[in-house]
Amino acid sequence: MKHRMMTAGILLAGGLAVFAGTTDLALAGPDTNILNVGIAAPDAGRLDPHLSATTIDKAVFGWMFNGLVRLKPGTASPETVEPDLAESWETSADGLDWTFHLRQGVQCHHGYGELTSADIVYSLNRAADPNRSSFSGDFSVFDKVEAVDPYTVKIVLKNPVPSLLGLVTNYHGGNIVCMKAAEEMGEDFQKRPIGTGPFMYGEYKPQQSLMLVANPDYFRGKPELDGINYQYVPSDSARDLAFQSGELDMLYGKQDQTWVERTKQVEGAVVHVMEPAEMSVMSLNITSKPLDDIRVRQAIAMAVDRDQFMEFKGRDVTRVAKSVVPQGYLGYADMSELMPKHDVAGAKALLAEAGFPDGVTLKVIHTALPGMLGTMEVFQAQLAEAGIKLDLEVVEHATFHAQIRKDLSQIVHYSAARFPVADTYLTQFFHSGSIVGTPTGITNFSHCAVADKEIEAARVEQDPEAQKQLWKTAQEKIMAEVCGIPIYENLQIWATKTNLDLGYELIGSLSLGPPVTEKTHFIK
Amino acid sequence: MLRFVVRRLIFAIPTLLAVMTMVFVLVRIVPGDPAQTILGDQASAEALQTMRERLGVDRPILEQYVEFMRGALVGDWGESMVTGKPVLTEIARVLPYTIELTVVSLIIGAVIGIPLGAWSALHRNEWIDYATRVGSLLGLSFPAFVSAILMLIVFSIQLRWLPVISGGNRATFGEWARSLALPALNLGLIMAAYITRVTRSSMLGSLGEDYIRTARAKGVPERVVIWRHGMRNALIPVVTVVGLYLGILIGNSVLTEIVFNRPGLGKLIVGALGQRDYTLLQGLMIIYTFVIVIVNLLTDLTYGLIDPRVKYQ
Repeated sequence: MKHRMMTAGILLAGGLAVFAGTTDLALAGPDTNILNVGIAAPDAGRLDPHLSATTIDKAVFGWMFNGLVRLKPGTASPETVEPDLAESWETSADGLDWTFHLRQGVQCHHGYGELTSADIVYSLNRAADPNRSSFSGDFSVFDKVEAVDPYTVKIVLKNPVPSLLGLVTNYHGGNIVCMKAAEEMGEDFQKRPIGTGPFMYGEYKPQQSLMLVANPDYFRGKPELDGINYQYVPSDSARDLAFQSGELDMLYGKQDQTWVERTKQVEGAVVHVMEPAEMSVMSLNITSKPLDDIRVRQAIAMAVDRDQFMEFKGRDVTRVAKSVVPQGYLGYADMSELMPKHDVAGAKALLAEAGFPDGVTLKVIHTALPGMLGTMEVFQAQLAEAGIKLDLEVVEHATFHAQIRKDLSQIVHYSAARFPVADTYLTQFFHSGSIVGTPTGITNFSHCAVADKEIEAARVEQDPEAQKQLWKTAQEKIMAEVCGIPIYENLQIWATKTNLDLGYELIGSLSLGPPVTEKTHFIK
Repeated sequence: MLRFVVRRLIFAIPTLLAVMTMVFVLVRIVPGDPAQTILGDQASAEALQTMRERLGVDRPILEQYVEFMRGALVGDWGESMVTGKPVLTEIARVLPYTIELTVVSLIIGAVIGIPLGAWSALHRNEWIDYATRVGSLLGLSFPAFVSAILMLIVFSIQLRWLPVISGGNRATFGEWARSLALPALNLGLIMAAYITRVTRSSMLGSLGEDYIRTARAKGVPERVVIWRHGMRNALIPVVTVVGLYLGILIGNSVLTEIVFNRPGLGKLIVGALGQRDYTLLQGLMIIYTFVIVIVNLLTDLTYGLIDPRVKYQ
């Protein structure tokens, strides 16, 4: 009997050793010339650039697609815009007619032929079609898009917009899909998306990975890498361990100080902290009692200690928010002057003046997402010192999103990054048209409406300086009304191995993932 | 026996119908909106409404229910609301991974657990018994995701024997075995802990029976006494437990799949829940219920193999 047990044990151990003996070759690395990227997600979403708006898919679209124009790789500021599929462009004096001259000889992936103006017209119309696109709203100002000749495209607008180039950047609906492929595949396009970028669709393994291969005909030259293996690794620990063991060369990071410090210790690792920032704002519902009294809102603003938040979130990954528009966005203006200093006694005095000497109690619904919940708990503790009690109900994330859109939470903590032009942030969060519960509602939880005039005027203003001035006034009005209290800005965190040369300086990326260009390569 | 199987399957129909109804209602009671997941948080209320109409979730609940039931019965389980792919395809793509993980873990659990339990019972209150009892208690109380991470640290980081991201490569036997080794061992050890404890107590019971004393008295060799007379009779509770714990194994496999990055039903269900993918959730629940029904049936059938006195009527 004892012998049998031992035999079983030996067999089991032997079996393990057999797998082990042959494993070293399985560990991928730079020798394969394939870039291994790890993302925090269980699986891909919809692999169609006009449908998916998730961080998980957006990074991939950035590697596969081009726009008429692009932001310089490694930057996330609309001021670095440069030619992409279009070599040049001009606009009419009224800002309504835009003509783009296309680059010649651009090839669609997998032999779908040369990209011409017909593809651009098709792609932009597709992005504007609510049945085939999640971003149709962005294109509602388009009157028509026409192909003047095979290499010239004309866009006619109904009225001027703050950033037409922003709409035709390689981002969201601006990503250009190839007409023949999209027509041929219809709904199946997401199973084999076809663009013109440096990397093209290779193979998708459900819940495991998306393999992209180098596009040998890329118009800026054949990529130095052979491909990208984009791996879906939902477990934080497994992802970190795989980076440590060398299985991953590029890693989606956590917006967390300890993570950054720990990852910096990993041999041969570089941590990147990049734009665009996601700003945490506390929106105060100014139509609900007692928040309809501006003194109560001011008291809340006074009770906030931003320095403490910085200590809590970590100074490497966050910075203090200074306006209701994040820093680095076109039109951002520093509003530090309008933010009251941290003053608990002052907050109490204001509350007493408003008729609440014993403090107030506010109803708050919040998501259980750990990163966001921690912030709300600190906020709750800070407010409690001033006698403002938050009756906090913690719910699961999808529930949170549904309930805050029904005005069920008096204070809404929202954390978001948007296309970096002040208009998007101001419109979605502070324009009366976006008030939740209305047909056009988006994310205006505060019911703020004080700056509608300036926001609308800035959209059509053609003089850049006057436009910036309008945006500045809008920010001042919103701050003075205390519709929202900006807390801090979280930056995007990624890590790469030192033997990877991205080929540009990484300051930011609209796709929220570091661009992988034709120049990205491993250093031997 | 065929009649028994058919009858059991017919009895399973009301169970399935009840589960389907419950799942249908439950996923819709929870607040949340699949349209929001699809369109993202910048979508306007109008765009969300258009999407809800396209998905059909704005229609009267009864109408949706009737359509769901009719579809489920004729094998049309609809399309995933979020990815747009057919539910059956989504499930079929990952089901083999979950099945192979469960079966291999079960085998590891039985191969370790049954002999160890028996051995422990034979050496009652000796050090080997104490060690086994403590060891199995540890196995029961250790969370699957913690042991999984410990295994990764030891085998992938320290020893570098196996990759961290094992995925589900199945091109060659070697790759298949490597990708399955750690997850199966992780779940198998938990299973072994359960089986060891049940085998031990059941074996202790049967060793104290009269027929064991009789067998020994008439000079039957000890090996035969233990394995034929003792073990054979002790196995029924073990099989019951294995059948019951198969459900638990599926639950634990969710965490194991996530940490070892294996494809599987567990990951699918967690994703579908977070995204409020009603159709996919419904499909997954039907599959789970079906698996449990089948496992219970197999458990009952195994009794007959172990004990010839069991008759199926």
